Amino acid sequence: MCARRWADLAVGECFSTNSITISRSDIFEFAADFDPQPYHLDAEAGDNSIFGGLCASGWHVTAVMMRQLTDTFMDQGIYLVGSSSVRHLRWLKPVLADDALTSVISITDKFTAPEAEFDYIECQVEVDNQHGEPVITLSTSLMIGSEDSR
Amino acid sequence: MDKPIYIRSRWFEDIPVGEFHVFGSYTFSEKEMVDFGKKYAPQVYHTDPVGARDTIYRGLIASGWHISAVWMRMMVDYMERFATGVQDGRRNGAGINVEDLHWIKPVRPGHTLTYTYEIIEKPERVVRDKWGIIRSRNEAFNQYGELVFSFVIDILAERRPQQEQAQ
Repeated sequence: MCARRWADLAVGECFSTNSITISRSDIFEFAADFDPQPYHLDAEAGDNSIFGGLCASGWHVTAVMMRQLTDTFMDQGIYLVGSSSVRHLRWLKPVLADDALTSVISITDKFTAPEAEFDYIECQVEVDNQHGEPVITLSTSLMIGSEDSR
Repeated sequence: MDKPIYIRSRWFEDIPVGEFHVFGSYTFSEKEMVDFGKKYAPQVYHTDPVGARDTIYRGLIASGWHISAVWMRMMVDYMERFATGVQDGRRNGAGINVEDLHWIKPVRPGHTLTYTYEIIEKPERVVRDKWGIIRSRNEAFNQYGELVFSFVIDILAERRPQQEQAQ
């Protein structure tokens, strides 16, 4: 695998991730740990809520996005040093049990970090469900290894 | 004596700009950080305490999305503690967007974060006829008092129904 450094990445480059299906038990498990609200823990409460059904925590969806981004960058040989910020994040549609999510990550900007072992890329990320509808969008600054240092 | 803080059972109209809460503290364990990392952010500095020493972090750190997920848990627990009168929390809606989220300093095993929020604005926008928007600034500080995490979030809150307003 050829490692790709910050200098090898281009504005406009775009990555599509694998698909991850979120099961009922995935929703319950994340909610029990991090977001124990009725509409994430109970189907009936979900039906009666603003979401219209049992749905995943919004932070579960962002965590799944991160998994897809991490796996994709690993596949590409891109050394991801971390995330530093999220400029905007929108939760657009609820993610329901058995929805299959795919992310598209586009590099929109690049900037350097003086005297660091990494530099930054700015990415626009859209997570779509199996109907092709965006469920979240975000723009995030990622730190990418600039030298051979890890 | 002042009225109890029935945070979750309040209508949008009754939630004041400027309200500030220190709503929870949480100590991050190595095991929980690794569990989260393996599921959602499998970079070596989130999953392998030994391998992490050879990264720029010189040790294991929590995934940023773990720090935000714990923010949610602290918030839910705090709301539950003060929620009386509304069983299903229907006057609190969903988060709809986040702005200016920053992970400022690494969180390491044994670090304790204290989470705060301040209501900074109630934008003039009605969502689906019944929800107003509460905008809050959220921050987390470590045990040294350093700011490690901050963001602004818009959360829906139910507006008081018209007939009740007339009473």
